[in-house]
Amino acid sequence: MSENTLTVLVADDDVTNRLLLEAILRKEGYDVIHAEDGREAVEVFERERPDLVLMDIRMPELDGYQATELIKAMSGDVFVPVIFLTANSDIDSMVKSVEAGGDDFLAKPYNRIQLQTRINALMRIRELYSTVRQQRNELILHQKRLERERQMAKRLFANIIHTGSLDQPNIKYLLSPMSLFSGDILLAAPKPSGGVHVILGDFTGHGLAAATGALPVSSIFYGMTAKGYSIAEIVTEINTRLKTILPVDMFLAACLIDIDTTTHTLTVWNGGLPPLVVYAARQLAISQRIPSQHLPLGIIDGESFSRRVEVVGIQQGDRIYICSDGVLETQNRQGEMFGRDRFNALFEAGLAPQALFDTILERLSDFQAGSLQQDDVTLLEICYDQSLLEQRAGTIEEEEGGRGRLSAAPSSWGLTLTLTADLLKVLDPLPLLIQTLMDLQGFRGQRQQLYTVFSELYSNALEHGLLKLDSSLKANASGFVEYYQAREQRLAVLSEGEIRIDIRHQPDAGGGRLTITVEDTGDGFDVDSALLPLTENLGHAGRGIQLLRSICDEVIFQGCGNRVQAVYRWR
Amino acid sequence: MPVTSTVSADGKDITINISGRFDFAVQNEFRNCYHSTGPEDGVSFTIDMSKASYMDSSALGMLLMMREHLGGNSANITISSSSDDISNILTVANFQSLFKIA
Repeated sequence: MSENTLTVLVADDDVTNRLLLEAILRKEGYDVIHAEDGREAVEVFERERPDLVLMDIRMPELDGYQATELIKAMSGDVFVPVIFLTANSDIDSMVKSVEAGGDDFLAKPYNRIQLQTRINALMRIRELYSTVRQQRNELILHQKRLERERQMAKRLFANIIHTGSLDQPNIKYLLSPMSLFSGDILLAAPKPSGGVHVILGDFTGHGLAAATGALPVSSIFYGMTAKGYSIAEIVTEINTRLKTILPVDMFLAACLIDIDTTTHTLTVWNGGLPPLVVYAARQLAISQRIPSQHLPLGIIDGESFSRRVEVVGIQQGDRIYICSDGVLETQNRQGEMFGRDRFNALFEAGLAPQALFDTILERLSDFQAGSLQQDDVTLLEICYDQSLLEQRAGTIEEEEGGRGRLSAAPSSWGLTLTLTADLLKVLDPLPLLIQTLMDLQGFRGQRQQLYTVFSELYSNALEHGLLKLDSSLKANASGFVEYYQAREQRLAVLSEGEIRIDIRHQPDAGGGRLTITVEDTGDGFDVDSALLPLTENLGHAGRGIQLLRSICDEVIFQGCGNRVQAVYRWR
Repeated sequence: MPVTSTVSADGKDITINISGRFDFAVQNEFRNCYHSTGPEDGVSFTIDMSKASYMDSSALGMLLMMREHLGGNSANITISSSSDDISNILTVANFQSLFKIA
């Protein structure tokens, strides 16, 4: 401490005392300033800001106690030790010095060793004090910066995660994160072919780490859904990505669903979440319960991962429920959990479907009765309302618009693609094909229409041409499920046959004319009889060709019905 | 002690007993039970959950860490005597495809 020259203020009205102390201090290497009374001590202190004060008690103007109080008040949160100089160490004056803020006493006659020891001890405290103060200030600053960053990240996170289409009258949800960032993720996105994809996920743990994992999930989910991929493909991609980035002990329990308004089916992949429940509007009872059938995402690699989905039929007004296990693990004051039995009982009371969601929330909150939330709690209800879900599909954002890419002026080009049985078994070519067309010509604002055209032409070739499925099966909802199960089985064992897709594009007054020919190696069908009922709305079946006709300028069946040509104009 | 382990005479079987809550709070104790064993040691592990009252997803994560440490697919780990609640948690997460559940 004696390396840095310290300044000591000596306040004493006795000149002999002052000189004596000054001599000792200077010998020890200190700078010395002095004051002859209490008032001067305060003035000198204010001006010179010494590091330590030696204070006599009895002085004119202000006495040592009063001067000390003022000096202490002036030093703020800087520690300036004050040592009282006393003739005798009577208890009374000691108490008064401590009350005034004094830090130590020095009794006359002054002894050099004693003085040096006292000063050293107090200087050590002063240094400690200043370190603590500095650290405290850094900590406060750091905390403020951290809080600002957290708030910023929260906004960013909210923008990335919650830009989906959850705000629909037919979707109700509860998302109550334990901390700033939720470990639960809930996203919904409309499909280009109509209907909606939803994912509800629950990361191990919560907070920032869990939220970070949600970012790739949301970009894969939104990106692939917009491009027309199925949930089986999306869930496989999410699993692969999470397996790469997540630490071994972190994973995502998730349920992905595809609600299809064309086929009235619900497709589900559930890995690690409580059973998905469908509450039938007509029966006022559970019509489907789809339990977890897979490992959560991010645990095993691609080869052993199972993308198998469940397909069930669904009817107007039915309600779909998915929740994170935080719902079942909600605790009451006694530490008891809400549990499966209480949850299931909610669906067995024959409640009106529109009252169910609020009833669940009410029961949960009654049960919890103000006790602390233990885990992220997420609950989702989707009402199957065909008209609403279809309407949604019309408002898909065109991502091409935002990319700043230059789209080529309409020009002449052609593309021929031959898809063999081996390829068809493992790959849905539509998303890739549509993406290629969008990249090639930049059909701004046309993605959804194009998707529908290609999807109808392709399904017709695959399902009727190669797989020889009978569309009369689709006369009712349960037949639909059967139809799609048969599709999956037959596709898995498909060994021969091809689908050829030929695409020609010609510029045409401010836009273009796209001629699409899809031909399969199947037997074809009796064109006249198949086209006959199309003038009537058959509900489940026949919608495909009707849809095509409404979008395309021309739809012509050729050959023995195994070749279809559609002409689509755009501007 | 919420987590204890016993080793068989030949050192080839280790039983980890868990009582009370199986969650992040017992992470270190749990890890210590298998940490000095490697995939090549040919040790079979049994996790006895008969006295465990609860497990959460961080405990599932801890089981995954253990499996990875002991060689992933070649790890020999049995989870035994779970209560209904704990069995249900393991089943929902489909852990029967990664561990032997007795």
